[in-house]
Amino acid sequence: MLQVKSIEKYYGNKNNVTKALDRISFDVEEGEFIAIMGASGSGKTTLLNCISTIDTVSAGHILLNGEDIAELPPTELARFRREKLGFVFQDFNLLDTLTLEENIGLALTINHTTPHTVRDKVQDVAMRLRIDDILNKFPWQVSGGQKQRAACARAMVAGQSLILADEPTGALDSKASKNLLEIMSKMNRDCHATILMVTHDAYSASYATRVLFLKDGRLFNELIRGNRTRSIFYHEILDVLGLLGGDISDVI
Amino acid sequence: MTLSKLSLRNARRQAGDYLIYFVTVVLSAALIHAFNGLVFSEELSALSSFMESLPAFIIMVSILVICVMGWLIHYVTTFMLSRRSRELGTYILIGLENSQVARLFFLENLIVGGAALALGLVLGGMIFQVLRAIILSLFHAPYTFSLALSPMAVMLTFVYFTVIYLLVLRKSRKSIRTMNIHDLIYYEKKNEEEAVKKSRSRRKLFTAAILSGITGTPLLLTGNMPLILLGTICAVFFLYGFFLSFSSGVPAWFEKRPGKKYASHALLIFRGLSAKLTTMGLTMATVSLLFTVTIISEGTGMLFGTLFQSRVEGSTCFDIFIGTEASDLDGNASEDDAAHSTAAADSFQTSAGTSADDTSASPGSTSLPAADTFLRRIENPETCIESAAPEFMPYLEYIGSEIPLRASMQYNIYQGENRQVTDYIDQNSEYYSYYSYDPLMAYSDYAALRQMLGYSDAPLEPGHYIIHCMAYLGNLMENYNQDISVSGNRLSPGSVYTEHFSQKLWDGNGRAFILVVPDEHLASRPVSHKIYGAMTNVPLTQAQDDRLQEIHENQMGGSAGLTHFTTGYCTLMTKTSLTREYAAVSACTIFPLYYLALILTMAAATILTVQQLSESIRYRQQFTLLGKLGMDRLEMAQALRKQLAIYYCLPALPPLLISIPFLWAMGHTFEPGTINGPGQLTGILGTALGLFFLIYFVYILMAYSSLKKTVLTE
Repeated sequence: MLQVKSIEKYYGNKNNVTKALDRISFDVEEGEFIAIMGASGSGKTTLLNCISTIDTVSAGHILLNGEDIAELPPTELARFRREKLGFVFQDFNLLDTLTLEENIGLALTINHTTPHTVRDKVQDVAMRLRIDDILNKFPWQVSGGQKQRAACARAMVAGQSLILADEPTGALDSKASKNLLEIMSKMNRDCHATILMVTHDAYSASYATRVLFLKDGRLFNELIRGNRTRSIFYHEILDVLGLLGGDISDVI
Repeated sequence: MTLSKLSLRNARRQAGDYLIYFVTVVLSAALIHAFNGLVFSEELSALSSFMESLPAFIIMVSILVICVMGWLIHYVTTFMLSRRSRELGTYILIGLENSQVARLFFLENLIVGGAALALGLVLGGMIFQVLRAIILSLFHAPYTFSLALSPMAVMLTFVYFTVIYLLVLRKSRKSIRTMNIHDLIYYEKKNEEEAVKKSRSRRKLFTAAILSGITGTPLLLTGNMPLILLGTICAVFFLYGFFLSFSSGVPAWFEKRPGKKYASHALLIFRGLSAKLTTMGLTMATVSLLFTVTIISEGTGMLFGTLFQSRVEGSTCFDIFIGTEASDLDGNASEDDAAHSTAAADSFQTSAGTSADDTSASPGSTSLPAADTFLRRIENPETCIESAAPEFMPYLEYIGSEIPLRASMQYNIYQGENRQVTDYIDQNSEYYSYYSYDPLMAYSDYAALRQMLGYSDAPLEPGHYIIHCMAYLGNLMENYNQDISVSGNRLSPGSVYTEHFSQKLWDGNGRAFILVVPDEHLASRPVSHKIYGAMTNVPLTQAQDDRLQEIHENQMGGSAGLTHFTTGYCTLMTKTSLTREYAAVSACTIFPLYYLALILTMAAATILTVQQLSESIRYRQQFTLLGKLGMDRLEMAQALRKQLAIYYCLPALPPLLISIPFLWAMGHTFEPGTINGPGQLTGILGTALGLFFLIYFVYILMAYSSLKKTVLTE
């Protein structure tokens, strides 16, 4: 579904160049739940921003269903984002002035969905995410976990094929995090949503089917869960993270 | 860094952040200062006795202006305090004392206020020159540029601003001194929490407000003072009720129509606005009220201007007009009286080849030339004072000796046999009837008057009569097709003329209309009143005018009072005195009204704009998110424009609903003929609204360009 081919990203000017991404390549299959891990400054969010077309790559290609997103004109990019991508942010990014229902419906409004069907679609996705009873509340009236579930609902309500989540559990307590991750797994399993999640938390990453590790802008390692239990997978992730803290030569 | 340096730096930054507010305070200070200049200008108050009341009018308006300015400065200062509370809290957090922070805030606001006042004083001096030039030109007085402005005016402006700033800053200083760090850091949040409070009572209020608006507006049209007052109360309730309840009324409306809510940009716009309105409902209502007062002030100013101009134009077409009611003797209409009055008139003229004796018995005389060939010649009066009506003698003696005339005439207005035309007008138009008969004029007099006034010839067909009426009756009289009877002769309607003809008052050329008939039919008609009209070579000087008024007062037994509203024996009107009165009344009413309107528009528009610009960070976050969610840039710009348009229209539309009917009703309360049909009234209203929206639009444009720059960045 998604092919990332040797992408590079540089910041700064001629005299002072920072390499945020260094020849990163990987493929994402439809229905996969991928976690991207790494320390602060490793390039996780830059990678996500490049995939989400919020940022542009300096070199390389990103293909979604065979289409190079780097070559799309701005209007096409906007259309691509609203039709194909769903976003979940660390700080929820819900609009304070809208109720949860309206926040979720906003994605449909932007997609020019027929106004009369908006409510039904929102209701449907809210039921699945168990927030249908708080749809009339404003973001400040609900908990962080509920806000993030509403953000998830917004990310998938328009039938987006790829959900990009940037530290979705970063602002949540452990109970709310667990709840959210279970919901994301369910979305992945039942709705066949393809999820790309950036996190620095091993527990969150253990819910994914595959984990990519970044270090200093390069792809450092990859773990596939396979048939292992989540608990075993979690420990494997922790092992890699242990190595990640050391020198690269320790792993090779 | 010392505290004063920090204050100075903050003040500079603040002036940048709140540039529009700063500009408004400068402009307001300039206007206040310029009008204070008028209060203390001896040159202007010496122009006319009426101008002596100008300071009183300006001070009255200034009090209102100072209150509004005080409100603006208080509002923006409190607003800045709430926006900067986190910063001020941080100062306390790092060890500054509350009193030091309060002093810091006080100092920086004082610096901003002081700078605004200093700039305002300079600009105000220039605006004063413009106002001075306008007033002097109204009085036809020469203007010479001088930078001199009364020190008292500077002092008064300084006192106004000092009082405002000290009161406002004392309050904010007190509130900072009593706040703790937590209060300051979370001050902003406190406001946010109230943003979306809902209650059933708000919905009830919304319904009540709309009903009140619907009921109140027609009451303003009734023309009945108590009902207008009730209508005004309803209108004010409508404004406050509407804005205080809007944020819950509209969501309720959308709740029932989810289809509409999710259409296009409705969701973003209505939620953004209703949240904003909940926190600033009271402010919006006050802004709306100020706009209502503004539009009414501008409209009233224009209506008054039209009224005064119409009075000058309609009251005298002559440079000097003297009218006198006929004595009882005249009213008896003996042949002698008619002969006498006409003789007096005729003594001013001799038609070519006709001696004065021939024409002395002109009305009814068989030896009279045909009406259409009859033309009276008008001369200077000095040669014929002896034959003038005795009531006019004292005036004519002075005029004859001191005032060079281009032309003059004395003539009679006669009583018709009935009041059929008066009744027709009374029934079909607005008309204050005065005579119990239709006033008549001899054609020879009419033709000579037209010549004297420089109007085109108006031929009279035999067996017809001419109608000369005020412009507003023109169409009505064109449709009048009844014959009239004068001394047993039936006359058919002829042409209708509507030039200015001194028809506004009772002893002019008829009341709003006069019927012009062949001279011979008037021989046996009683005289209604006598008129002396003169055109001077050059406009009367003030001294000449004063002398004439003095003669008039002596003539009236020293109790003339207002020159042209005297209902007694004699009326004197000069174009000079009327123009000067018009100029003085204009300066005393229209100037303060525009002054008020200008300040109110600027203050209210500033509050709306400051509120809007302070949201730019929130807007930027919102539009960044929308961009991430895939909203097109073009659509975002569209949504921003719509949001701004509705935000600025909202407080401006209810005032239109109130002020337009109000001004319309006011236009109709003026004496008939002041406003020439609905077209002119629409024009006046259009200009008043145009003026208001012009200033308002400048603010909207500034807000839009600033928001577009910060919110829709790449």
